[in-house]
Amino acid sequence: MRSISAPSDPMRDPLLIEASWYDGRSAVRHEGEAVWEGGPALVLRNGDDRFDIPFSDLAYGERRGQTDVYRLASNPGFRLSLPHVLPPDLAARMPARSDYGAWVDKLGFGKAALIFAVVSASLAALFLTAPTWLGPRIPMSWERRIGDAMVGDLGGRLCHTPAGDAALAKLLGKVDPAGQAVRAGVFNADMVNAAALPGGQVLVFDGLIQQAESPEELAGVLGHEVGHVHERHVMTAMLRQFGLSILLSGANSGIGDTVFGLASMTYSRDAEREADEYARARMAQSDVSPIGAASFFERIGGRGGKEPEKPASDEGSMFDWVASHPAPGERARAYRAAVDADATYRPALTDREFAALKSMCADDPDVEEFDLF
Amino acid sequence: MDRQAPSRDVTPDSAFGFDGNWKDFAKIALPNQMLTILTLGIYRFWATARERRYLWAHSRFVDERLEWSGTGRELFIGFLLAAAVILLPLFGLNLLIQSLTLRGEEALAGWLTFVLFLGVYYFTGLARFRGLRYRLSRTHWRGIRGGSDDQGLGYGVSYTWKSFVGYLPLGLLVPWSMTSLWNERIGKMSFGPHRFEAHAASGNLFARFLLFYLLPIVLVVGLTVAAFAGYGIDQARGGEAIPDLGITGMLILAFFVWFFVLGLVAAAFYAKYYREVVGATEWADLNFAFEASTMDWIRLYLGDFLLVVATLGIGFTFVKYRHWKFFMTHMEAGGEILLDNLTQSTTRVAGHGEGLLDAFDIGAV
Repeated sequence: MRSISAPSDPMRDPLLIEASWYDGRSAVRHEGEAVWEGGPALVLRNGDDRFDIPFSDLAYGERRGQTDVYRLASNPGFRLSLPHVLPPDLAARMPARSDYGAWVDKLGFGKAALIFAVVSASLAALFLTAPTWLGPRIPMSWERRIGDAMVGDLGGRLCHTPAGDAALAKLLGKVDPAGQAVRAGVFNADMVNAAALPGGQVLVFDGLIQQAESPEELAGVLGHEVGHVHERHVMTAMLRQFGLSILLSGANSGIGDTVFGLASMTYSRDAEREADEYARARMAQSDVSPIGAASFFERIGGRGGKEPEKPASDEGSMFDWVASHPAPGERARAYRAAVDADATYRPALTDREFAALKSMCADDPDVEEFDLF
Repeated sequence: MDRQAPSRDVTPDSAFGFDGNWKDFAKIALPNQMLTILTLGIYRFWATARERRYLWAHSRFVDERLEWSGTGRELFIGFLLAAAVILLPLFGLNLLIQSLTLRGEEALAGWLTFVLFLGVYYFTGLARFRGLRYRLSRTHWRGIRGGSDDQGLGYGVSYTWKSFVGYLPLGLLVPWSMTSLWNERIGKMSFGPHRFEAHAASGNLFARFLLFYLLPIVLVVGLTVAAFAGYGIDQARGGEAIPDLGITGMLILAFFVWFFVLGLVAAAFYAKYYREVVGATEWADLNFAFEASTMDWIRLYLGDFLLVVATLGIGFTFVKYRHWKFFMTHMEAGGEILLDNLTQSTTRVAGHGEGLLDAFDIGAV
């Protein structure tokens, strides 16, 4: 055996440690010893073969029972096995052991878990609250562009007749006196529903119009949706949905799990209340009686204020719109309370105009049927 | 002492082994679960790397353990890449189809839906190939790793058309598409300097497949007869007097029979499938075998089910442990390995992990 010469630390004898390694070139296992003379490299010795391994090239691999496996940055297949327990000064030169991954190893499990929890909770809070203040600050023109890209002209499914259009415009004027950027349309579908789409487009479904007994009822519904547009609830809901899908994308990456489309877009109860308040204020301004809207909610929900049970067969029923909204009884009471005894209410539409609205879809020869979903 | 004997005889009853235990695995898996929740899922890539490190390290092939050299960071990067390159465009295409439908362009939307459908198939095939390639390239044995020089782009095409052809004649060619895709996928992989080869034949699977295929029909007929018999019992007992006993009881029974029997037959088919495809796989002078019987598969899945139900879902993290152990204990190999000739793989190493596989939710261990 060769002697070891010129250790950098003359006070200490060279360390000899039992070692085995694979050289990364073939599957043959080598056994010998690792020698450390105090310098910047470990010497691997196997009979007459000897070669240096600089500490800077070593990387920690994993624990194997009573041994630790090290790798070489310069040779991805190289594996060196050394005893787990090493003399302290050598252990100090070896690369740090890693287990969880760099950050968690550095911080320790408990501390890392705590930090992750705080960061995640703040992120979740941010993503849940940001839409409420960010939504109204996004220019309406942007929202309109997004809306046009998403829904376009709805495939010609909006009903148009000259008299119907005029009646709708008049009704819209009552609940949107400032004449802001809201477009309203009657959607040719036999569902009792109404919706505010991105881009300031408000739809009243033909099914709802057929169920309405007075133009004041329609004014209540239309005013509510216009309220969603003016309060920027649509943008807020879109941002919330977008934020949630980003937040959850870490946990779930499957394409099936991503929330697509508008179908799942819902507003908070506060938003619904705000939209109702908006509708009542505009109706009061335009001398439209809130009684119609109140009786509409009483018809669909009863006076008890309970959420109506959804019937098994709800084809064209009153419940499509109600299902995603606050309890109709509560809303009916709010509309009744808004009646001003001193006010002189005028009809929102003439009988002829109301009739034109009712027959709008039947009279439009060009409108497309909505039968896809 | 210089080198060990340069060749290893592989005896079939000892080529593969597994000596992990679930308690040690729990010490890795449960903290992983906690960190994963606390990081809103981001830690799962590092969790996967830690778990695989444990499972590989306790798996023995002949006289040396396997080693997983993949990292959480590369899995994370793989996920980001897949999200940017595949998922975002697919998401955009989906939005486009929605908006076209709303604009009344149903025909164009229909065509795009078809393209989207084909795309999902193509990328599923690509993902399976890349996932296997990635896992082989991160599996070391005696310092040697596996891999493939093929990008898997052609395999994606094969996967798409073979799947379709498999389903076309009423699904009767499914065994063919499964074995032929296995042969194609495995045949492009290598470990060290040697290619894998597989020549699985679908003919051997066909009897079991027919069982799987025809049994539902037999069951429907049988259960319909039974249901009518139940109705008869109702009538004989005086119609509505005891309405729950006859037809309802039969329906509940039918439900259980359906899932139980179909589960059994599916296990019988998969047992045969894995015996066939692994048995038809070779590497250098080794041939492989997979010895799990139908009963073994049933025990595996029944165990999974009980484990998850009994722990209210927490045990789900042990399912991958059970499956890996099942795989390692039933794998066998015979033949000889010349260690001197087993040199390092020259295949290109992808710098990122199996993001596609992850994105399409095709899990394995």
